[in-house]
Amino acid sequence: MQDDNKNIINQQNLSFSVIFICFKLYIRFSIFVLYSTDVKLLIVEDDRSLSRSINDYLRLEGHICEVALTLNDAEQKAGVNKYDCIILDIGLPDGNGLDLIREMKSKKLTGGILILSAKSSLDDKLVGLNIGADDYLTKPFHFAELSARINSIYRRNNLLGLNEITFNEIRINTEDNQVYVNEKLFVLTKKEYDLLLFFMANRNRIITKESIVEHLWGDNVILTDSFDFVYTHVKNLRKKIVAAGGRNYIKCIYGFGYKFIES
Amino acid sequence: MVAGGALLYLTIKKVIYKQIDNSLITEKTIIEDQLKPTDTIPDFEATFGHQIEVKLLNYRVKNYQAIKDTDIYDAVTDSYIPFRFIYSKGNTFQKKGYVITIFQTISEKNELLQDVGLYMFFLFFSLLLISILINYLIARKLWQPFYDSVRIAGRFDIQSDKPLDLPATDIKEFNQLNEVFDNMTSKMRNDYLNLKEFSENASHEIQTPLAIIRSKSDLLMQQKNLNKDSINLVKSINEATTRLFKLNQGLLLISKIENQVFHEKKTVSLKEIILAGLDNYKEIMLLKNIKVDIDAVDEAMVEMNDVLSEVLISNLLSNAVRFNINGGFIRCHIDHKFLILTNTGPPLSTNPDDLFIRFHKNSENPQSVGLGLSIVKKITDSYGMNITYSFHDNIHELILQYR
Repeated sequence: MQDDNKNIINQQNLSFSVIFICFKLYIRFSIFVLYSTDVKLLIVEDDRSLSRSINDYLRLEGHICEVALTLNDAEQKAGVNKYDCIILDIGLPDGNGLDLIREMKSKKLTGGILILSAKSSLDDKLVGLNIGADDYLTKPFHFAELSARINSIYRRNNLLGLNEITFNEIRINTEDNQVYVNEKLFVLTKKEYDLLLFFMANRNRIITKESIVEHLWGDNVILTDSFDFVYTHVKNLRKKIVAAGGRNYIKCIYGFGYKFIES
Repeated sequence: MVAGGALLYLTIKKVIYKQIDNSLITEKTIIEDQLKPTDTIPDFEATFGHQIEVKLLNYRVKNYQAIKDTDIYDAVTDSYIPFRFIYSKGNTFQKKGYVITIFQTISEKNELLQDVGLYMFFLFFSLLLISILINYLIARKLWQPFYDSVRIAGRFDIQSDKPLDLPATDIKEFNQLNEVFDNMTSKMRNDYLNLKEFSENASHEIQTPLAIIRSKSDLLMQQKNLNKDSINLVKSINEATTRLFKLNQGLLLISKIENQVFHEKKTVSLKEIILAGLDNYKEIMLLKNIKVDIDAVDEAMVEMNDVLSEVLISNLLSNAVRFNINGGFIRCHIDHKFLILTNTGPPLSTNPDDLFIRFHKNSENPQSVGLGLSIVKKITDSYGMNITYSFHDNIHELILQYR
């Protein structure tokens, strides 16, 4: 490409070359914007400590994050930038987070919205989902869960062939819930499938057994001896992937849980 | 009243006797007055029931007088007739003794007395009845506001959102009583509401710090160079946070049920909820080799909040799965009135009566928060359902009367 540019400069057609370079850069930038896998997030949370934690963790995941501590700040940022997903606390010092959703919908701004609330009150949840939020997560949450929810919102809202997750030899079609290893279909139970997606959303991160239990069985289920079942599920999943010809990516981490390792 | 009646009867009897005695004495005196100066026995007209006998003696007697009762045989009626008689002895001016005996029948007087007594008895009896009736009517009218207040106060439910509203009455004392009642219950209600609000607020406010702890420990966990000790520390923090979270979540749920957040009702099918709930535990039951047996009528419908119905069934099933044994079973029977959930499992190590009490937990399971069944109880109570637990032959049985 640089050779091309040099040729053009060599042809002494400066003005044309400048326009051409600009055009190419623009195309490349557009391609970058369109196909960038970096997810751009806005974290709206008034608690500094919590918003910093969320910011830190999601940056580790490779997401691009911005933080807004007030509703006003959030409204300004959401008006100027385009975010793939807004993580929204409802109880903000200068207003109700639900107002931001209403404003975004009235201005027809795109982007997913994940409500993050201390109130697990049903009304808030129903209102939030009714006026256009994509999901609702109650505090306190596991980061692994937050990550999985963001990924799922992102997948749903982007139509650029992202209903497929490809990872080395593993390919997951999230539309018909099929999993392929080396392009060969293999069957997982519902829980194993959910577990695999959960791992996929949290690659290279330690996932605790608690967060897996909550993800698979929901947080209303109180299962104290369920860690054994997590172990069995993970074991079965690993066995199935390996049997289908895949590599063993799931590593047991002492004391914590598991880690899905890319390398 | 009976004593009064008896007294009156005796008094009348005494008056009548006194009258008879007086007339006897008067008659005797008249005879004496004639007899004493003249020594001749005057003529008497003998009438029925009245008899006078006068005897003159030739010797002196001692003065003596007595009035007594006697019965004299009457040949005509072939019966004894009661008589009152005066027996009097004395001396004339000529020093001759005489004996006067005057008999006076008292059978008529007795009849009169009986009639009077009978009338009096009826009179008193009817008076008694009337006074009781009047008393009852007056009391009912008079105490009506009191009974109203008692009825309303008896229905008072501290958890309901209505204050105790006792109606005003015309009676000062009852108004005072109602006022005291009103004040007392409104204070109780305020305290209760404050407490409820406090526990809900506290639960909410705990969520954010909990989220911070969890997020920080999640971040800490991701660090590469942790040694074994630090890992164990973070692990403990994680476990404690999860426990606190579960606890808080349970308490919040209970306070929400109390606050009637879940007031919307739907017609839900118990069978469907059970099937969906069991589906959630499918893998776990497979691992534990638990056999499931469902025998349910399709029409087992219940009017309740759908979220609560799921929580209710999920908590029951969770216990049935958790406290089950390897190779055990879960049986679910639903008919038009009852939902009976039986499962195998080791006996409880604690008193089964405390099973539905908050924070009551099986000591063998320290991880358990001890809120599951108290949530169940809260839900069943709020819908007026009845749930009972029993254990026999290593089988736990929960009977939910949902209708």
